[in-house]
Amino acid sequence: MNSGLRSQVLVGTAIVLSLALVGIYLAAGGSSYTPKESQDPCEHRAWTDPESLGEIANQFSISALDGAACQLGVTREALARALATPEARERFADRYGIDEEELARAVRAGLLRAIDDAEEAGALSPFIAGPLRGTIEEIPLDRAIELINNADSLLGNVQSFLGPAGDLLEEFLP
Amino acid sequence: MNAPRPRVAALALAVGVVLADSSIVVLALPEIYRDFDTSIAGVTWVLISFNLVMALAAVPAALLARRVGPGRAAAVGLAVFAGAGLACGIADQLSTLILARCVQALGGAAAITAALELLPASVGSERRATAIWASAGATGAALGPAVGGILTELVSWQSIFLIQVPVALAAAVPILAVAKHEAATGILQAELRRTGRPHIAANIALAMVSAAIAAALFLLVLLLIEGWRLTPIGAAIVVTVMPLAAILGGRLGPLVPSAKARAAAGAILVSGGLGGLALLPKAEVALTLPPQVLIGIGLALVLSALTETALSGRAPQAIHGGWTISARHAGVVIGLLALTPVFTADIAEQRTDAINAGTAVILDSKVNPLIKLDLAQKIESRLEGETGKVPTIGPAFEPLPSDPEDRAAVEELRDELQEQLNRGATHAFSPSFGLAALIGLLALIPIGLARRVDL
Repeated sequence: MNSGLRSQVLVGTAIVLSLALVGIYLAAGGSSYTPKESQDPCEHRAWTDPESLGEIANQFSISALDGAACQLGVTREALARALATPEARERFADRYGIDEEELARAVRAGLLRAIDDAEEAGALSPFIAGPLRGTIEEIPLDRAIELINNADSLLGNVQSFLGPAGDLLEEFLP
Repeated sequence: MNAPRPRVAALALAVGVVLADSSIVVLALPEIYRDFDTSIAGVTWVLISFNLVMALAAVPAALLARRVGPGRAAAVGLAVFAGAGLACGIADQLSTLILARCVQALGGAAAITAALELLPASVGSERRATAIWASAGATGAALGPAVGGILTELVSWQSIFLIQVPVALAAAVPILAVAKHEAATGILQAELRRTGRPHIAANIALAMVSAAIAAALFLLVLLLIEGWRLTPIGAAIVVTVMPLAAILGGRLGPLVPSAKARAAAGAILVSGGLGGLALLPKAEVALTLPPQVLIGIGLALVLSALTETALSGRAPQAIHGGWTISARHAGVVIGLLALTPVFTADIAEQRTDAINAGTAVILDSKVNPLIKLDLAQKIESRLEGETGKVPTIGPAFEPLPSDPEDRAAVEELRDELQEQLNRGATHAFSPSFGLAALIGLLALIPIGLARRVDL
C-alpha cells in the first residue's frame, strides 16, 4: 500500500470511528436527558384509588404541599425540603422572603385543600371534613407542618384530634 | 558518536517527568480542593499556574540553555524542579503551592528545552532525537493523571510532588557529566545561530489540540470523582485507558509517513472521543472507555505529528522545541480558562435541577410517609453539607427499614434518586466536552495549512 493510500485509510478510519461513536451514543439517548420536572402545584392532582390509611395519608400530604406551594408561588419540592427541618425552614424564609405568618397561612391553606381533595375522592366523610376545616384554621404553624409530614396521625386519630366531638363522628368514617 | 544509554534514558525521563507534571495533579485536585477548603476555580490554578509559566518560559529558557550550555541548563533546571517539587509537597497554603508550581515550571522549562539540544548529539540523529523527545513528552502527559490518582489514593496528594524529587535528581546525575564538560572546556553544544521563524500553523494547531486534550483529562477526572463519586484510585484506573491507547497510537504512527495525515486523523479522533463524552447516554464508567480509546490514539498521532512538523527543518532545535512547549501549554491554559466557567455554571444549574428532580421522586414514591419524612430530613442535611458539588445521598438511606416491603420501596427510591443525581451530573459536563470537541475539530484548519519542511 503506497503512502498516499495509507494516509487516506488512516484519515477515513478516524472519521468513520468518530462518527460511529457519536452516532451510537446519540441513538442510545445521549442528548435526551431532562430532569424529572416539577409539576405545577396549583394544578389539581386527582387522587388514585387509595387502599390503605398509609396511601390516603400519602396523598393527603401531597395535596397539602401542593396547596401550600401554590399559595406561596414556589414548587412543592422546594417547600417539602423547607418543612423537613427548622434550619431548612429558616433558609427557605431567607431565600424567598416569606415570614412565619405567611408560611403559616399557606400551610393551613394547603391542609384545607387536602381536606377538600380527600372529601372529593371519598376518602374523608363530609361529617369529618367540616369540623376538621374549622380546627385547621386555628392550629399553630408547627402543628400544621407536623400534620403534613405525618398525615397518618391526623387521619388515623381523628377522634383525639377533634376532641370530645370525635367519638360522635367515628361512625361516619369511611 | 552516541552517548551512553543512561544519558539518553535520563534525558527522556526528564522530559517525561516534567511534561507529566502538567497533568499529574489532575486526579489530586478534588483532595487539594477539600484540604485547602477553596473553590473549583481556585484549585484549578494549581494546574493552570504550571502550564502558564511553562508557556511563557519555554522559549526564554531555550535561549538561556544555548547561552550557558544545555548540560548546565538541564542539570540546574532539574535541580530547581526538584526543589520546587519539595516545596509543593510541604505547602500548607494554596498560595504557597501555586507559587511553588510556578518555580517548578521554570526549572522544568529549562530542563526540557535543554534536553532537545542534548539529544541529537546523544543519539546521533536530529530526527530520532525529536521522536524520542516527542514520545517521552506524550507518554508523560498521558500517564500523569493515572500515576497521580494512584499516589493520591494510596499515600496523599503531597506524595505526587515529593516523589518527583528523587526522580528529577536521578535524571540529573548522568547529565552532570555534560555540564562538567561544558564548564571545563567552555565548549557549548553548538554555536549561536540566527533563530528561524517558528512554524506558526503547526504551533497554533498544537495549542488547539492541547486545549482539547486538557479538557478531556481534566473534565473526565472531575466527572468520575465529583460527579460519579469514584475514589481517586478508581478514577486513575479508569483513565489509564487513555495512555494505553496512546501507546497503540504511537505504534500506528510510523506506518503512515505523512505528518499531515497523522495530525488530521489524530485531531478527528480526539474530537470524536470528546463528542462521545459529551453524549454519554448513562452514568456508567464502561461508556467512557470507547471515547478514551479514540482520544488516546488521537493524541499520540496528533502530538507527535505536529511536534515533528513544528521542528522539521528548523534550527536550533531547542528554540523551536521551546515554541512547541509554549504552544502546548498555552493551549492547556486557554482550554482550562475557557472551560472552567462553563463547567462551574453548568454544575450549579444541574445540581439545582437534580435536587428538585430527586425531591419529586421522593414525594411521588409509595414509601411510608413517616419514612419519607425521615429521609427528607437526612437528605436535606446532606445537601446543605455538600454545596458546590453533586451530593451523595446513599448514607441518608441507612439504616434501611427492617420491614421487607418498606425496605424494598426505600431501596428502589434510593436507586432512582441516585440515578437522577448521576444523570444530572453527567449532563452538566456535556456542554464543556462539546466545546472541547469543537476546538479539536477547528485545529484541522491550521493542520491543513501546515507545511512540513524535510530535515
